[in-house]
Amino acid sequence: MTPTPVPTPTPASATGLPVDALDALLRSMADDEFVIGFSDSEWTGIAPILEEDIAMSSLSQDELGHAAALYGLLAELLGGDADADALAYDREPDQYRHARLLDHGRGDWAMTIARRYLYETADAVRLAALTGGSWAPLTGLVGKMVREERYHAMHIGAWLERLAAARGEPRDRLETALAAVAPDAATVFAALEGEADLVQAGILAAPMAELAERWQAAISPTLSRLGLRIPSSTAASASRGRTDHGEPFAWLWSEFTMVRRSDPGAAW
Amino acid sequence: MTDPLALDPVLAPEERTPVPSREGVTPDAWVERFEAHVAAGHKVEASDPMPDEYRTAVLRFVEMHANSELMGVLPEREWLMRAPTLRRKLALTAKVQDEVGHAQLLYRIAEDLGKSREAMFDDLIDGRTKFHNVFHYPTRSWADVGIIAWLVDAAAIVAQQALRDSSYGPYARTMRKICWEESVHIMHGRDVVLTLVTGTPSQRAAVQDALDRWWGPLMQMHGPRSPREKDRDLHWRIKAKTSEELRQEFLTIYVPRLLELGLVIPDPALRFDEASALWQYTEPDWDELRTVVTNHGPMSQARLDFRRLAREETRWVRESILAAPRPAPRVA
Repeated sequence: MTPTPVPTPTPASATGLPVDALDALLRSMADDEFVIGFSDSEWTGIAPILEEDIAMSSLSQDELGHAAALYGLLAELLGGDADADALAYDREPDQYRHARLLDHGRGDWAMTIARRYLYETADAVRLAALTGGSWAPLTGLVGKMVREERYHAMHIGAWLERLAAARGEPRDRLETALAAVAPDAATVFAALEGEADLVQAGILAAPMAELAERWQAAISPTLSRLGLRIPSSTAASASRGRTDHGEPFAWLWSEFTMVRRSDPGAAW
Repeated sequence: MTDPLALDPVLAPEERTPVPSREGVTPDAWVERFEAHVAAGHKVEASDPMPDEYRTAVLRFVEMHANSELMGVLPEREWLMRAPTLRRKLALTAKVQDEVGHAQLLYRIAEDLGKSREAMFDDLIDGRTKFHNVFHYPTRSWADVGIIAWLVDAAAIVAQQALRDSSYGPYARTMRKICWEESVHIMHGRDVVLTLVTGTPSQRAAVQDALDRWWGPLMQMHGPRSPREKDRDLHWRIKAKTSEELRQEFLTIYVPRLLELGLVIPDPALRFDEASALWQYTEPDWDELRTVVTNHGPMSQARLDFRRLAREETRWVRESILAAPRPAPRVA
């Protein structure tokens, strides 16, 4: 998705919007999409099959487009000097708020499929909880994202089934990857500061903990049918679910900020 | 990404001049008629009979082009994770994805001519087939990303536009789509370069440095002059222009554009000669070209090693997905 201009929100102070909580929500979603988009774009040019290379690159471009739109919305909400690029790029690594699920490095193809499957299914539940919310600038954007994410779900679902159904190495690799990332899967639903205000304001349909339950219920039939373990709806690392990112993100951050850091303040 | 022109149907038999029939003529006479057919500007389709020499020549030409698209992904891909704004990140990812898409389209054309994709990948990474000289060099800075997208793609499009008239129909049609996408890459590259040359002194210096390093390979890219009558690819109308015609065309379009940005072209002998209406330039280093395209360039082995490694690491996926029959889903 190309970044599209979003409707200008009414000044936050005038409407009694829960600005801090919205900041936390938009930042978490934007960082999620930015990090998974950047990570999976790394397959561009080296994916297992040319046709899949093109598909995976499109998916990561969609996620990056979503990130750009969400950062844009956040910039308008905050109303300061920071634009979408500054929000996306000009923070220290420990200031990013993406889910720890996305902190496992690219890994092999099975790892990419496992992580994407868990993230896409969680993101779908989160987007559903934002659909029809009371803050129009966000619901408009969510509507666009949902349309694209539907295709992502079909794509990743097909890969999960293929790898799970193939005996031997593909299934072994998938199980290994799931074992590595599943404990962090529910970090997508790590509690957000002030989330009760978002529920109160009718922006978010339910608290994150409840969304985690919905997500687990949504993926259980598929995983059971494929004989795969169902991940917990509470993350092992819940208290630091969106902080404390570790080595793979340190590498990613040093890469994506390299050019900008080389000449701070320059236009690119 | 889809250019409607690329979706043009293959002309129905009654709408095109058919390849001459082989019936009732000697093989030599038929080859002569086939030559006359392509010389007259008519097309050959994948299902048509064609002389072995023609099939081999088209396959070799398209395979080298496909290899170049696939290997051409790597120099820019090194900067994919470093793109410095959201817009640049999206543009560069889409551009590299386009190159993968071109490789896929071209390998499909080559597959139809009788060589499997796996065999073409094997030959590429084992050094039995070649890829374009410009993809054997390192990318040292973000400015290289701009110079490649602008000038390497521009030099390529000069050649590729002429290929839209190729006698081999599937190739000609595919080149229309590819040219349309390459023209978007050129705009992206020019925008990157323009932003840098109007930026800080170090950004501007990086562009000049990139141009200094890329000019030689760009001048070599279309190959040494060769007599038109000896070129078999021209004879079969697989391509339409000589190396020198393409280089002159590139210089005519891009020299003024580079000078307009205040950049210095690193060739003191470069000038337009009004009398001959041709560009004069320092003779490109043809030894360097030969060294580089035989995989002895500065990054040849590293890029081939990287391609080999990526292919090895994903082999299990292809084997499980492409080879194995699909078992029925399990019942819980």
